[in-house]
Amino acid sequence: MGHREKDLFLEVLAFYPCTPPAHYTLSRKPGVPNAEAAQHLLDEALAEQREQNRKLLQQLMLDFARFQVQPTGLRLVLSEVDLEWLLQVLNDVRVGSWIKLGSPEDSDLITHAFDHLTDEKRPVLWAMEMSGYFQMQFLKAVAGG
Amino acid sequence: MAETVTPDLLPAAAPVQHQQDKPESDLEPGFLVVCWNDPVNLMHYVTHVFQQVFGWPRKKAEFHMLQVHEQGKSILARDSLEKAEHYVHQLQKYHLHATLERDE
Repeated sequence: MGHREKDLFLEVLAFYPCTPPAHYTLSRKPGVPNAEAAQHLLDEALAEQREQNRKLLQQLMLDFARFQVQPTGLRLVLSEVDLEWLLQVLNDVRVGSWIKLGSPEDSDLITHAFDHLTDEKRPVLWAMEMSGYFQMQFLKAVAGG
Repeated sequence: MAETVTPDLLPAAAPVQHQQDKPESDLEPGFLVVCWNDPVNLMHYVTHVFQQVFGWPRKKAEFHMLQVHEQGKSILARDSLEKAEHYVHQLQKYHLHATLERDE
């Protein structure tokens, strides 16, 4: 990645965590035994994951050795484990940003966002789109493309 | 913008699987893991997550992703309460819209 791209990448990561905890529900319908306790378990598991990912992110942002200087720019070196938590972080930013934009259900998400864009929402739309961009870059790396 | 260089990946350690003794009712299948459509999760991402969580080959993961996309939802697994709950936890860690439902 280029130096500017690295800066954008770190800017996107700085939005984490973005998705509100209340967004995660275990079940849509009644019928799950001990539903309240089960929901509480899920909430705890996700809170623990958020805390862990926050620490991993802090380490990443300080670990300049991860971004190896190459003739064409920078190469980000990641293990497969790193890749998975980064994908989770990026999707948290993407989904959380979508929620902040009003969770538009329109098929053309971007058009809707632009039609209702305010100064406050502009960085949120940016975060949603840029997190999606970096997700696709990482997924290409996984696919070997 | 400079040409994007995709990251190098280092091999990971194999995942560890655990088994626990549980009451028979918790082990009986009867709960569904359902993934619901939304306009924000990318299709490639959803496919990848299905591969990671369930260990599916790409084709099967894509089949279920397309079911979510075209039919509004896909039933990913029918299993015991404990296993189904585990899968939903994993899918929600990836921020997919996945829920646990009783099989009617």
